[in-house]
Amino acid sequence: MSDRWDDGRLLAALREAIRARQAVPAEFIETGRNVYAWHNIDAELAQLTYDSSHDRAEGASVRSETASIRALTFTSAHLSIELEVTEDALLGQIIPPQEGTIEAQTRAGPATVTEVDQVGCFSFDPVPASPFRLHCRAAEGTDAVTGWITL
Amino acid sequence: MRDDPDVVTLVTRAAGGEAAAWNELVERYAPMVWSICTRYRLSSHDIEDVSQNVWLRLVEQLGNLREPAALPGWLATTTQRECLRVLRAARRCDPSGAEPGEQPPDLDAAVIEQEIIMAERNAALRAAFAELPPHCRKLLSMLISDHSYSEISTILEIPIGSIGPQRARCLERMRRSGFLAGFIDDEITRTQPKAVGGEPGE
Repeated sequence: MSDRWDDGRLLAALREAIRARQAVPAEFIETGRNVYAWHNIDAELAQLTYDSSHDRAEGASVRSETASIRALTFTSAHLSIELEVTEDALLGQIIPPQEGTIEAQTRAGPATVTEVDQVGCFSFDPVPASPFRLHCRAAEGTDAVTGWITL
Repeated sequence: MRDDPDVVTLVTRAAGGEAAAWNELVERYAPMVWSICTRYRLSSHDIEDVSQNVWLRLVEQLGNLREPAALPGWLATTTQRECLRVLRAARRCDPSGAEPGEQPPDLDAAVIEQEIIMAERNAALRAAFAELPPHCRKLLSMLISDHSYSEISTILEIPIGSIGPQRARCLERMRRSGFLAGFIDDEITRTQPKAVGGEPGE
């Protein structure tokens, strides 16, 4: 027990802990608290499993960001959502193909809902404002939401 | 990493829909997220952006965290990644700015590790402090904001001579707090190693 802090050390550590908390602006804490409103325990999460821009970024060599199409894949327990981002639209397909609706949610502003056709295809035109996420309600009953997407 | 059942409980409760548990997680770890953002010298707008993204990622991962006890590390890494993303985006938008190919500065892994250790230690200290009786909290608050004994004596209406003994009693009480078990004895000695043995190559 020889390492137990003496009073001076404990008080100094407490000072540091309290100051670290006081340094944080109230709005910063507020932002964190408010985010919980996005918590959705009913939909399953579709995780990002592929991002074409990672392939390029990892190389970090050439400025190849002019490549106009970015491809992303999100996968949940029951379905995948494949996305292609072009200059003016967001195109996607649900795998396995099935009908349904898909909603693009942005943090500010209203959500946009669009139909998913029989082969699982859908499009948003224009591309939703970043960051956004997609909430898919498939006809077969699966309810999945992607992680937030920043393009 | 230290096994912290409390974080695990908070994560589980927040994942189950309990907003109070979520708020507690934010309260605990926001100082670490903030501190990492300031290390990257982000603008307040960018800090806001990073913090939104970090907490949103946490909210979406709540039910999927493989090891909730490792949450502080996860948050630190996510914050770091978000800071770098924001910095890279800023550079891309500013043609007059950085030289092509220049990467934003990455923080040393040791710095991040230190942030994580400090975050856990500070959260434990604040929790132990919050448990103290009101008179102890008042006294210690005044002591850490560098009030003199005579000011403390006037404001708290206690004799100067009793400040020392009260300070000792309050600190002893804090030291016995369950929140600090494991911190006071080992974590800290790891953070501030005693100078044992020779320094290599003077």
